[in-house]
Amino acid sequence: MPPLRLSILACIALCACATSLLAGGVFIAPHVVLAALLHPHDGTNATIVWQLRMPRVAIAAAVGAALAIAGALLQGLLRNPLVDPYLTGVSAGAAAAIALSILAGIATPWLPALGFVAGLGAAVVVALLARRGSGIDANRLILAGISLSALFSAIVAFAIARADSPDAAQQILAWLAGSIAGRTWSDLRFALPYLGMGSMLAIACIPALNALRAGDVRARTVGLDVDRAQWMILAAASLLTAASVTLAGIVGFIGLIVPHLARRVIGSDARSLLPASALLGAGLCAVADAIARSIIAPSELPLGVLLAFIGVPAFLYLYLHQEQRV
Amino acid sequence: MIALRQVTIGIGGRTLVREITGEVRAGEFVAVLGPNGVGKTTLLRSLCGLRSPQGGSIVLDGRDIAHLTPLERARHIAFVTSDDAMTDALTVRELVAIGRFPHHAWWEWNPTAGDERAVNDALDLVKLQPFAERPFATLSSGERQRAWIAMGLAQGTPIILLDEPTSHLDVRVAHRILALLRDLARAGRTIVCVLHDLNEAASYADRLMLLGCERMLAFDEPARVLDPTIVESAYGIAIERLDTSRGPRVFPVL
Repeated sequence: MPPLRLSILACIALCACATSLLAGGVFIAPHVVLAALLHPHDGTNATIVWQLRMPRVAIAAAVGAALAIAGALLQGLLRNPLVDPYLTGVSAGAAAAIALSILAGIATPWLPALGFVAGLGAAVVVALLARRGSGIDANRLILAGISLSALFSAIVAFAIARADSPDAAQQILAWLAGSIAGRTWSDLRFALPYLGMGSMLAIACIPALNALRAGDVRARTVGLDVDRAQWMILAAASLLTAASVTLAGIVGFIGLIVPHLARRVIGSDARSLLPASALLGAGLCAVADAIARSIIAPSELPLGVLLAFIGVPAFLYLYLHQEQRV
Repeated sequence: MIALRQVTIGIGGRTLVREITGEVRAGEFVAVLGPNGVGKTTLLRSLCGLRSPQGGSIVLDGRDIAHLTPLERARHIAFVTSDDAMTDALTVRELVAIGRFPHHAWWEWNPTAGDERAVNDALDLVKLQPFAERPFATLSSGERQRAWIAMGLAQGTPIILLDEPTSHLDVRVAHRILALLRDLARAGRTIVCVLHDLNEAASYADRLMLLGCERMLAFDEPARVLDPTIVESAYGIAIERLDTSRGPRVFPVL
């Protein structure tokens, strides 16, 4: 059954990405998109499709997949369905570093790299604060993540308040709202190795995630090195989240809601949960980005804001529906 | 065979039991008894390597357990406990299948025919096959206890440690579980089980280990351990003994 459901999810994700290629400031008909895909150097439409829309769709899909996998990893690690990838402090750390960099007048091309390094640095600090013995304490991780994120948010607010020009404040807010506007193939090329490493680590964590479903103590009794597994899962989630923050700023709710949806569709076995989360996340983010750039065209709605509009009611519905079933 | 050599156990710097020395033989059913907080569960956790003893060593078939990797330990010893919170909506079969973890390398994700057989055998032994596809959360206390035991059985280890497997169970289910453990011991598995009911333990176990007053008070056959003087020193209450055709029974003097 899972292979069939995964195939259906893969088809849905592909359709979502294909639909996303059509939408934007100008609607492009499917046959025109197809012609542009087949003839990359032939006319304006080919330029729009290959240079503007394809990178956006690819980045949206990568961000959605990365955040959804990171969410599934952390929810599995902490066995807490309310955890999202930003718990690791990655987004808040990246946002603080980017806000300070904008304030200091550092050139825009450097911002993604700075955000990536700062995000990972914040994740390391959170992990060290959450350390207990040679492993990670779930409660400490949540507390450290929330505390550090609050501190970094204060730094961002300070940066906005101290910004010399409205442009600088606007740039900071754009990062916070989450957006893929203006991203190109080169941005994806920068993030791709980290997305790859995070995904490989996530795949290596699959047996550990499955053993952890029975609880930490039982996972230990069946021979899982729980401490090592915790560090690996946290590293994978941090890499994926940092890479996605670099590409799109802070895009909320994907990492929280998509693993819930995937669990409903395919169950909690990590062998199918991780690919299902990736496919659902990629499809949802691609569609959301298409709506974000076409709904008030020629302006754009920030992706993070749009996902919050969709995500909050969806999450409340899922949560309350689950409560009623229990 | 598990050998305890002057093992001292404790929690957070507090010593619970000092210098336990003894051996649990292959195919033996040993019940660990004693008042609450005396260190029975801590001893079991030390035996399976979840917790390091404060002193002494635990030797498994000639090798110090501290020198075994987690996977090596898990291929020899299964630990059945019901005190670990579980929030995931696993089915009974999925839960029991997790017991097969130590028999796979990290890249071997799919169950083998041997795994399927071990899971089915374990479910049959605890009579949970009809419940195999049900969510674990929908089981009763007794059924959950049997599911935990099935997970331990599926692990395929020669030694099974159980922490209070009959707590919260009615007398009929408790009897079935203890009879199953005794049968497993007769079939060659080594069973070490923490129990609270002295008479239940005397009925099923080959030997009783009684802990109290920071030491091992006795480790012997039930008839010798259920001596009122020894039991009184462990629990601090007056005990009366009654010898029956099924062995000795002890009762608190009210």
